[in-house]
Amino acid sequence: MRGSPTTLSLCLAFGLVVAPVAAHAADPIAVMADACSGCHGTDGHSVGAMPAFSNKKLDELKTMLKEYKAGKREPTVMDRIAKAYSDEQLDAIATYFASRKK
Amino acid sequence: MTNISRRSFNGLLGAAGAVTLAGGLSACAGTSGKGPRVVVVGGGFGGATAAKYLKRYNPALDVTLIDEDKSHYTCPFSNTVLAGMNDMAYIERKFDALQAKYGIKFVNARVEGIDAAKKTVTTKDGTTIAYDKLIVSPGIDFKWNAIPGYDEAASHVMPHAWKAGPQTVLLRKQLEAMPNGGTVVISAPGNPFRCPPGPYERASLIAYYLKKNKPKSKVLILDSKDAFAKDKLFKEGWEKIYDEMIEWVPAAKNGKVTKVDAKAGVVETDFEKFKPDVANIIPPQTAGVLAIKAGLTDQSGFCPVDANTFESTKAKDVYVIGDAAIAGAMPKSGYSASSQAKVCAAAIVAQLAGEKPMALSAINTCYSLIAPDYGISVAAVFNVQDGKIGTVKGSGGVSPMGAAYQFRKKEADFAVGWYQSIAQDSWG
Repeated sequence: MRGSPTTLSLCLAFGLVVAPVAAHAADPIAVMADACSGCHGTDGHSVGAMPAFSNKKLDELKTMLKEYKAGKREPTVMDRIAKAYSDEQLDAIATYFASRKK
Repeated sequence: MTNISRRSFNGLLGAAGAVTLAGGLSACAGTSGKGPRVVVVGGGFGGATAAKYLKRYNPALDVTLIDEDKSHYTCPFSNTVLAGMNDMAYIERKFDALQAKYGIKFVNARVEGIDAAKKTVTTKDGTTIAYDKLIVSPGIDFKWNAIPGYDEAASHVMPHAWKAGPQTVLLRKQLEAMPNGGTVVISAPGNPFRCPPGPYERASLIAYYLKKNKPKSKVLILDSKDAFAKDKLFKEGWEKIYDEMIEWVPAAKNGKVTKVDAKAGVVETDFEKFKPDVANIIPPQTAGVLAIKAGLTDQSGFCPVDANTFESTKAKDVYVIGDAAIAGAMPKSGYSASSQAKVCAAAIVAQLAGEKPMALSAINTCYSLIAPDYGISVAAVFNVQDGKIGTVKGSGGVSPMGAAYQFRKKEADFAVGWYQSIAQDSWG
């Protein structure tokens, strides 16, 4: 994580209060999406030539992932990867990264 | 949380998708780092990532990372050091950020034993460290004398350089010292072994260095196999860039190295004797010796594990990730280890909270450089099918054959970006 979340912020995130920035629960979406971070950086903050997620809006991310899957966007490797996921899973991955700390 | 409801994301991943809400909630009950003790042995891609993601998923855990070295030299990009493209500092990863940013305790010691009954590990100086859960990420060790004559002493003359560090430096020095017109022999092992495309990337980047500096030289790959990872792409690249400089001899054409004599500088197959200027012998491998001593391996020399959690089938509360684990279709790569580490960390957080661990979802993405501006890749996404890790149908694969220069150049740039990102994701 970038900056340790306080105990309070964690409790808020898991409680009834809607927190603007998600805590990093080990839920199935996090586990599925965090597999992308090897290339795209922790929380989508890639540090080199790999496209970052952290500067992209939710709709843009959703569209890109589905275009890679459908072969509508010129890929190198992302077409091969995106095909492994359902549209719902791609949307969930996009939503996860869009909710990370910028 | 994301703005997806619990119900909908459970639905996405099926029945096994139990949400570990309690894992996060436990942070509310106690002070950070006073929770259950998780010990991680090995600070490579697997261990470092596991330690970091354990703390991401539950900051209350008391996480200790143990490594026998003060820093880790990565095998990925060590071939660029051999080629003179980068120095050793480029592939050195330190443990400072894991301690400072995530509150992970780092212990610089060699772990000699695991007592799974008492739930302790013992280091070389006799210190015992207790755990509630233990992750073992020991990487590989070598089957000395599996190639007769190739023991540890021989590796100081004919380096394997299959663990990055002093061996990488030694091989680089030998390449620098060899004459123009000399021969480099690379002996590639049979499957399974660490980094399946690695010997062939190494041949490529050594050829890149030789072509620039010692253009009359040759790279001879003596192989124990008849096929290898991304082989068609490598051969296409070799033909384009290096002409006849790289020669690959498969097992079927007696490529398998059957004997070495390090003192005499001789490498033998069943039918031929070579006396190369540089011999890089990559021997057959097992899981790291710690895993063997702790009884975590089976007859294959590697560690059987549960496909969703990486818990050892041989010892309760002990988890094995990375090259040491038998992970079905996942290759022994840094990316695999890192991806497994996240799955394992999440499973441990869930289990410590009394929840059911979720189903594995993992990725491997691996780039190889044939030249600094010529990259190729392989990618796969994994899930569990019939209790084993398999690839998700209809996905994954290697770069296309016959691609234009711009495509290869882009993948070479992404190879560098890949390294920078995964280094940050694992140690940063």
